[in-house]
Amino acid sequence: MNIQQIASIPFLLGGFFFFVAATVGLLRFPDFFCRLHATGKGDTLAVLLSLIGLSIYEGFSLTSLKILFIAVFMFLAQPTSTHAISRAAMRCGQEPWVKERSK
Amino acid sequence: MDSFFLYLGMGLFTLVFLCLYRSVFGPGVLNRIAAISAIGTKTLVILLLMGFIYNRVEMFIDISMVYALLNFIGTITAAKYLEMKGEV
Amino acid sequence: MTSVTDDIIIRAVARIMIPFIQLYALYVIMHGHHSPGGGFQGGVILGASFILYLLTHGLEEAKIRMSEIKAGLFSSFGVLIYSGIGLLCLILGSNYLDYGKLSTILKVVPAQARSLGILGVEIGVGIAVMAVMFSIFFDISTGGELPEDEE
Repeated sequence: MNIQQIASIPFLLGGFFFFVAATVGLLRFPDFFCRLHATGKGDTLAVLLSLIGLSIYEGFSLTSLKILFIAVFMFLAQPTSTHAISRAAMRCGQEPWVKERSK
Repeated sequence: MDSFFLYLGMGLFTLVFLCLYRSVFGPGVLNRIAAISAIGTKTLVILLLMGFIYNRVEMFIDISMVYALLNFIGTITAAKYLEMKGEV
Repeated sequence: MTSVTDDIIIRAVARIMIPFIQLYALYVIMHGHHSPGGGFQGGVILGASFILYLLTHGLEEAKIRMSEIKAGLFSSFGVLIYSGIGLLCLILGSNYLDYGKLSTILKVVPAQARSLGILGVEIGVGIAVMAVMFSIFFDISTGGELPEDEE
């Protein structure tokens, strides 16, 4: 266990935590927009943390540079696809969920 | 460190199955698209972990990058189709 | 029907990403004998970048970049490169697609001629796959009718 491996473990565990949070949100939230809110934000941060951890573990090489390229790509692509689906859902007439008021 | 990657990959695999519940039983096509997108994101990390376990990262990294790219284009395509159709 | 294509966020992100996707596709084609990939996979990624352009910028702007006629010409050109290299080997007195004989005209040792020959074939396959994928998607998105045929 050298210093790179020890330094990569918190990033990987943090990424796994956010994956778990996003999945729980996808399963438990009541509405499509709430679910998309959970996966869109949680998965982006989780992928970013996991890929940064893996590139730290790999060290300084061409492979770690490619992993960082994937991180940048996901950082651009994931919010854009989330935006595209939510826009399509709004255009399709999905009503956002509101909490039932007690009169 | 390899066993740590193995357990992390197994945990992500469990999460993929949990997302598969939403993509099979989820009401409506929009929930299914969101679940498939989330599965693709997790698969990308699983591929990289597999590469580190097998010591062939420089091979798996290309597959992982193409997977991310096709996931993005597929989601955009589904969104555009639904938006042009105008209904769910 | 251009409801998606006027969205500024999707257009801007696609405009940033498409050059890098095409560069990565060229990398996959060129680096095909050291890593997974090759002509077919690189061609698919290159075609996917054009499909992303068509999805985000609409049919009319995509026709300026890559029209149906250009796609047909590119697919024929890729097959021409592939079969031309094969026939060149056949003319030089060897089997079809046996690149060893190319060393007589390329002035290199046969092992290097094999490497260059497979590279040329992969470039041809990549161009053909890109053009065929794009023309299939083009046909689907126009509903099978070509507007320029009607006049």
